[in-house]
Amino acid sequence: MTTVDTRRSRPAIVSQAFMVLLTLLFLSPVVWAVVSSFKPAADIIRDPLGFDATSFTLDNFTAMFDSVPLASGFLNTAIVLVLKGTLILFFAPLAGYAFAKYDFPLKNVLFGTVLVTLMLPIIVLIIPLLLEMKEFGWINTYQALVLPDSFGLAFAIFWMRQVIASVPDELLDAARVDGCGEFGIFWRIVLPVIRPGLAGLAVLTVMNIYNDFIWPVVVTTSDSMQTLQVVLSTLAQNISGNTIGADYATITGQLLAASSIALIPLLVIFIVLQKHFINGILAGSVKG
Amino acid sequence: MHQHSSRDGSAHPARSGFRRLARYGALGISATVALALTACGPAIGSGEAPAESTKLQAPTDPSGEITIWDRSGDLFEVFDGVIEKFNEKYPDIVVNHEAVDIGAKLQNTLITATDVPDGVFLDDQLVPGYADSLWDLSDVLDPYLADIAQQKVDVNSINGGIFGVPWDLDPGLLFYNEAALTSAGIDATAIESYDDLLQAARDYKAFRPDAGPIHLEQSAFLGQLQLEMYASQLGTSITDENGELRIDSPEYEQILTFLDTVQKEGLGTRAEYLGPTDIATLDSGQQVFVPWAQWFSFGPQQLLPETLGDWRAMPLPAWEDGGARSGAMGGSSFIIPKDAAEPGLAWLFYEFLVFDPEGYAAVYGPNSIYPNGLNTSIPSYAPAADADKPLFGEVEAFGDQDFWKTAVEAGEQIPGGVPTPTWWGGAVDYLGNNIQKMLDGTMTPQEVISVSTEDIQTNLVDRQ
Amino acid sequence: MTAPSALGFRAVRRAPQQGPRWSLLRRRSAPYLFIAPFILIFALFSIYPLTFALRLSFTDWRGTGAATWVGLDNYAYLLGNPAFWASLANSGILWLLIIPAQVVIGLVAAVLLNNAKLRMRGFYRTAFIVPFVTPLVAIAQIWVVVFDQNYGPVNDILGAVGLPDIGWLTTSEWSKPTIALLFLWKTTGFAIIILLSGLQSIDTSVYEAAALDGASRARQLWSITVPLIRRTLMFLVVLQTLAVFQMFAEPYVVTQGGPYNSTTTAGLYLYNHITRADLGTGAANSFLLVIAVMVLSLVFVRLLRPKD
Repeated sequence: MTTVDTRRSRPAIVSQAFMVLLTLLFLSPVVWAVVSSFKPAADIIRDPLGFDATSFTLDNFTAMFDSVPLASGFLNTAIVLVLKGTLILFFAPLAGYAFAKYDFPLKNVLFGTVLVTLMLPIIVLIIPLLLEMKEFGWINTYQALVLPDSFGLAFAIFWMRQVIASVPDELLDAARVDGCGEFGIFWRIVLPVIRPGLAGLAVLTVMNIYNDFIWPVVVTTSDSMQTLQVVLSTLAQNISGNTIGADYATITGQLLAASSIALIPLLVIFIVLQKHFINGILAGSVKG
Repeated sequence: MHQHSSRDGSAHPARSGFRRLARYGALGISATVALALTACGPAIGSGEAPAESTKLQAPTDPSGEITIWDRSGDLFEVFDGVIEKFNEKYPDIVVNHEAVDIGAKLQNTLITATDVPDGVFLDDQLVPGYADSLWDLSDVLDPYLADIAQQKVDVNSINGGIFGVPWDLDPGLLFYNEAALTSAGIDATAIESYDDLLQAARDYKAFRPDAGPIHLEQSAFLGQLQLEMYASQLGTSITDENGELRIDSPEYEQILTFLDTVQKEGLGTRAEYLGPTDIATLDSGQQVFVPWAQWFSFGPQQLLPETLGDWRAMPLPAWEDGGARSGAMGGSSFIIPKDAAEPGLAWLFYEFLVFDPEGYAAVYGPNSIYPNGLNTSIPSYAPAADADKPLFGEVEAFGDQDFWKTAVEAGEQIPGGVPTPTWWGGAVDYLGNNIQKMLDGTMTPQEVISVSTEDIQTNLVDRQ
Repeated sequence: MTAPSALGFRAVRRAPQQGPRWSLLRRRSAPYLFIAPFILIFALFSIYPLTFALRLSFTDWRGTGAATWVGLDNYAYLLGNPAFWASLANSGILWLLIIPAQVVIGLVAAVLLNNAKLRMRGFYRTAFIVPFVTPLVAIAQIWVVVFDQNYGPVNDILGAVGLPDIGWLTTSEWSKPTIALLFLWKTTGFAIIILLSGLQSIDTSVYEAAALDGASRARQLWSITVPLIRRTLMFLVVLQTLAVFQMFAEPYVVTQGGPYNSTTTAGLYLYNHITRADLGTGAANSFLLVIAVMVLSLVFVRLLRPKD
C-alpha cells in the first residue's frame, strides 16, 4: 500500500491551495499559447496579453494545415513512440533488474558505461553519429530515429535499477525456490511489483521521445519522415530573436496553432496512463 | 518489522571508492578501445584538391527533378507561388520545394553529403562559411554581373569565385513618423546628415519630453547588424577583403560616437526590435526615427494600429557631405551545393526567379500572400529594380508613398562591400555585446573599438 | 519477516556449485543477456561516435576541408578562456537557483499527490506534466512579453506595490533567475513524476506503524519519507544536475545567451561552437564538460547516498 493513512480525512486547505496555485502557474503559459492561436497573427505580436473576442479567427489553423505537414508529423512521432517506447520499456527494466539484483564480473564497469552515457552532451555526438548513419545507409529511416539513443535507454536503466533495488529479495528467493526461471522471476514477480515505477517510466519515456528534436531534425531530410517536433522546429526557426527580414507574425501564429494541436494526443495518452499510477490499490504483494 | 534491506550484498548503493575505480576503469577501457578504433571510422576531410573545375555551366537538357530548400514562412509561400510560372517556361523540370530549418540542417547535410538539396536560400553573411562546398557560379552569372548591385556581388565573391546567386537587396532607410514630427514642427525630409538627425531629435524631445526619438537596438546580434548597415554606408565593414580587422578606423569611430551621443543626450529609446517596448513606444509617438533595413516596413504595416498611415520612409542621412544615403543590412542569396544531383537545373530555377522578368514580377508583384506585392526588400538586379516601374504597390501604411521608388533609389547608393567573415556570428559576443555596454553607458566608443578588436583578433581571427 | 533461507538469493550466488549445471549456466549468463541490448546500442551508437569526437577534439576541423592536427591546442584554449569558465559558473548559479527549489516544490507536490484523499489527483498530475511537453519556442514568447521591463505584467505588479522596474531579461543580474524560472516551470513536472514513483514504492506498513505510534504527519514526513526517498532524491538531483549543465535551448531561445553572456550556460557555450562550425573546439569542450559534470555527480552521490 502506498497511500498515507492518516487520522485526518482530507488534506488541509493549505495543501489544496498549494496545488491549485501550482496548477495555475504551470498551465497559464500553455493556456496563453492555445488562446493566442485563435488571434490574428499580428495581434499576437502586437498585443500578446489582450484578447479581443471579436477578432477570434481560425486563420492560423487553416494556414498551418495548408503549409505544415502536421499529419505526417503525428504519424511519424506515433511510430517512433511505439517502436522506441516498447524497446525501452522492455529492455530497460530487464537491464535494471540485472544491475540491481545480480552480481557478476564487470558489473560495475558496465554500469559505469550507463552513467557515462548519461553525462555525454548529445550535441557533440551529432556529427559523428550522422556520418555513421550515412555509412549504414540509415539516413531518413525509422531505424535512425529509434535506435541510436543510448541516452534514453541509459536513463531508463538507471532509474529502473534503483526502483528494482527496493524490491525485497525475499520475493525473488521465494520465486526461485518455486522453480521460476531467471526470466520468469523478472516477468512474473518483478514487473508487477514495480508497476508505479514502470508507469512513471512510461510517462517520462513518452515525454522524452515526444520532445526529442535535436537528433530527429538532423537525421530526417525529407518531409515524409519528419516527426512532430521537427515540423514544429522548422516553423520556429524564424523566431529566435535573431530574425533577419522575416515576417515572423504569421509564423508565430501557425506555430502556436500547431503546438496547440500537438498537445492533444499527448494529453490523451497521459490520461490513459494515469490509471496505472497508484490510486491507492497496489497489489499487496509487497506485504509478507 | 520488515526492514527494507534493499541493498545487494556486494554492490554498495552508491558510488563508493570501489565503484569510482571501476568507473575510471570503464573509461580507461573505453579510451583504449577508442584509440584502437581511431584507425577506422570516417575520414575527416582529406582535403584533396578538386581535380575538375568547380565552375557551374548551364545545362543542355532542361529536364529532371530538383529539391529546393527555403525557410518556412511568407517567403516560402511566395517562392512556392512562382514555381507554376517557372514550369510554364520549363515544363520538364519538377521542383520539390521544401520548408527546412536551414540553420539546423545545412551544415550537417553538407558534411555527410547525403540527400543534398539542389538549391538553398541562405543569408548573405553565411555564404562564405560554406563556400568550399558550393558551386562557383561565375560563368553562369557572367551575363548578368554588370547589372547586379555591387554590394551583393561583393558579398558573394570569395577567393575569386562567386558562390551565391544574389537575390534581394536590403537597403537601409530612415523610417519616421511624419504625423508626429509635423505636429512638432519638424520637417524630416530636410534631414541630410546624422548631425541633422540629432538636431531633429533634440527638437522633438523639446516638444515632447517623454520621447526617446531615435531607436537604439537592444539585441546584441541585431545591433551589430545595424552597425554594419552604417558601416556599409561608409564603404567599410568589420574586415577588409583579406580578412583583416578594420574596426579601429575613423569610420567606426564616427558611427559609435553618433550612437553614444544619442544615448548620452537621452535621445533614444532602447528596445529590442519589435519587442513589446519597441511596439508600444513606436505606436505612442515616443519613438519617431528608426534607421533600419527595408524589412522594418513589416512593422508599420501590421503591428502599429495607432500610427497606421503616419509613417514614411526616406533614405538614411549621410555621414559626410555627399556621402551615400544608404547601406546594406542583411540580404540573402541562393546557393547550389557541389554535391547536388542536378545543380544545372537548380541554376535554371534561380535564373528564372532572379533575372527573368516573369520570375521577379511573380516574386515581388501582387500574389496570394501579398496582394500588394512583397515590400520587405527589393531586387538586387537593376533591370528588375527600375525606379519607375514598381513591382510592388504603394504602401497604404506609408500614406500611399511610392515606397518602391524610395527603396530603389536608396539601394542605388549603396557602395560596394566585401564578403562577411565566417566568424561574424561569433563576433556578437564581443562587438555586439560591447556596443550594448556602450549604450548602457559603461563603455566609451574608443573602448568598444579597442576591446572588440583585441578580443576578436585573439578568439576568432587567430584561431581560423 | 524471517531471515533469508539458506537457499536464498544471495546464498545461490555464493555457492554456485549447488544445483544442476544448466540452471547454473542460466543464472550466470542471465545478467549478461539482460544487459546485452544496451551494451550493443552503447557500443554502436556511443562508443563509435565518441572515438570520432575524441579525434576531432585534437584537430581544428571546420566541417569542410582538411582537419589539421593541433594536439591539445583546443583544450588549452578553452581552459585559458574566461568565457569557458564563465559558462560553467553560469550553469553553477543556475543550478543553485533551480535544484533546491525544484526538490522542495517537487517533494511537497508529490507527497500531496500521494494522498489518496486529495481530490482531482489525476487532473493535477496531468497538469504538472503539460509544461514538459509544450514546445519551448511556443512558450518563449510569453516569457519575453511577461518579463518585459517597461510593459510586462510582472513589472506592472511590482509598480503597483511601489517597487521599481526590474530588467528581467535585460540585465545580467536578473536574467539568470528568469531563465531559471523557465527551466523550473518546464521540468518540475518531470521531478514530480520521479518523486511520486519513489514515494509509491514505500511500504505503507511503515507509515501505519508510525501512525499507530502516534507520530504526526509532519513527523512521518521527516523521519520516514525523507530517508526512504533519499535514493530517489539522489537520482533526481544527479539527473537534473546533468540537465542543468547541458541546458541550452532555454537560454538560446529566450535570451540568446545574453545579456552579456550572462545566460550562456555550459551547454549553450558548447552549442555555439558546434553551430559556428568550430567542431574541433566543440568536441574538446564536450569532453571537458563531461569531466566537470562527472565530478559534480560524484559529489552529490557522496552527499546524498542512503546510509543503510
